[in-house]
Amino acid sequence: MQENKAKNHRVIKHPILPAEAPCDVSIFVDGQEIPAKAGEPIAAALLTAGIRIFRQTAKKGYPRGIFCGIGRCTDCVMTVDGQPNVRTCVTPVRAGMKVETQIGLGRWAE
Amino acid sequence: MDELFICRCEEVTRRELEQAIEDGAITMNELKRWTRAGMGLCQGKTCAKQVMALLAQKTAQSPAAIKPATTRNPVRPMQISYMTKEAE
Amino acid sequence: MSMRKVQAIVIGAGPAGLAACIEIAKAGGKAVLIDENAKPGGQLFKQIHKFFGSREHRAGVRGYDIGNQLLQETEDLGVEVFLDSPVYGLFRDPRGIMVSYMQDGRERALLGETVILATGAAENALTFPGSTLPGVMGAGCAQTMINVNRVLPGKKVIMVGSGNVGLIVSYQLMQAGAEVAALIEAAPSIGGYGVHAGKIRRAGVPILVGHTIKRAMGRDQVESVEIIALDEKFQEIPGTEQILSCDTVCIAIGLTPLTELAWLAGCQFTFIPSLGGHIPIHDENMATTVSGLYVAGDIAGAEEASTAMEEGRLAGIAAAEALGLYDEAAAAPLKASVWARMDALRTGPFGQKRHEAKALMLETAKGGTK
Repeated sequence: MQENKAKNHRVIKHPILPAEAPCDVSIFVDGQEIPAKAGEPIAAALLTAGIRIFRQTAKKGYPRGIFCGIGRCTDCVMTVDGQPNVRTCVTPVRAGMKVETQIGLGRWAE
Repeated sequence: MDELFICRCEEVTRRELEQAIEDGAITMNELKRWTRAGMGLCQGKTCAKQVMALLAQKTAQSPAAIKPATTRNPVRPMQISYMTKEAE
Repeated sequence: MSMRKVQAIVIGAGPAGLAACIEIAKAGGKAVLIDENAKPGGQLFKQIHKFFGSREHRAGVRGYDIGNQLLQETEDLGVEVFLDSPVYGLFRDPRGIMVSYMQDGRERALLGETVILATGAAENALTFPGSTLPGVMGAGCAQTMINVNRVLPGKKVIMVGSGNVGLIVSYQLMQAGAEVAALIEAAPSIGGYGVHAGKIRRAGVPILVGHTIKRAMGRDQVESVEIIALDEKFQEIPGTEQILSCDTVCIAIGLTPLTELAWLAGCQFTFIPSLGGHIPIHDENMATTVSGLYVAGDIAGAEEASTAMEEGRLAGIAAAEALGLYDEAAAAPLKASVWARMDALRTGPFGQKRHEAKALMLETAKGGTK
């Protein structure tokens, strides 16, 4: 995990858009705490933290990340709070969320 | 990673689709059933156009002549539990 | 089981859907707007550039400002909006058109006397070795990340496709702080507006026409791409391979209308490649071949946000007329003014093509079913 890169990935200074709100919550990605903004898509928080590999595919075990960014393609699915196949590009961050790299089709938490 | 994954969800390659067409799948529905292309989580939203283009090319048809695979509801990912709750 | 029935159900809260609701409400009708996302506006809020067109088309206004204006108008007119409510099915029913959707963890349904589909479009994908590696994504995906979510999906980008989306998103990636290492285009010339291409050229981005991506390489995410030149017949020219280092590949090669609900409803379709492929046949009122069912925006042929808004208005006015809220004499001038604005938008070297495609659509609708 590359938390030190966070500042470089967040678009802070922008010629048109207003100043960016700071991170206000934390989420846990494979057990590691990262900063996030409540309400932003989980995928945005992960990219900010420099995390681009969200899952491994079922057949080949290949890595996947975001692809469509608007909830269509399902490439970005991860296991969130024990529920597999959650589209991280359209699922908003809540404080304390547990996000896990999904292996294959994922497993439901007991 | 030299494979050409047309269907990203089900990891179906161009080669597998070509083989199915050679084996006689000449409609989108057949290709879907034979290879699972378009049967994954996204339900073909990402690959259908490419599958259609490949089928048109391999069978020397215009893409206009190819009928898309049958659409069925639900057209969005849905949990079974949503269906089991009584309607209001 | 009694089911709530409303005059109009509009599916999709992007520019077309919002405009449709506004027109129905202005006519005194009751519209329910349903969208699967947490926020309305569709893809308008990632458009941070100024729009083209005439003053009526709010040229010079940025996309997100147009989005805010439409939302305000929708709210002022009291349109009922369901968010976080994905529509999953559409059924013809003797009582109207039944729209099934999910909300609060259960399925629900509404009956509409009229239904307007404004579901938009999805980006086309491209397959090459390595196209599933993290870092390869749609250009619209990257645009959402930088402009809405305020995060860079990568730092060094190769853009594939030189239509307006490819050109505009390249520029916006640079505004957000990314480097665009190159923009490649398979055709022998740039696809989008010269003014957009000029901006990124001046910023020093090489635009390589007659080139395609051969593969993306990297162990578990993109580290480089191999590109190759193409001849006039789009055949690769051996010996012209180049390796470019990058961490992101953006694909901007057009859109496909999201038509599932129109297929479910039993609409008849036609195939028009320049509008994105299969399109529900619709007439000059945006009415499909299914009674009471209308389409507007990218589902009726992928164009631009400005034309989507006008099509939404047209569908809204036509639905209001069908509901008896306007008589023919009242609706005709309203529809004529929308058509005048739409015709003005569909001019110029790019607009003309869409104009012709839409004219072909109207012919198809008049000619009946194919």
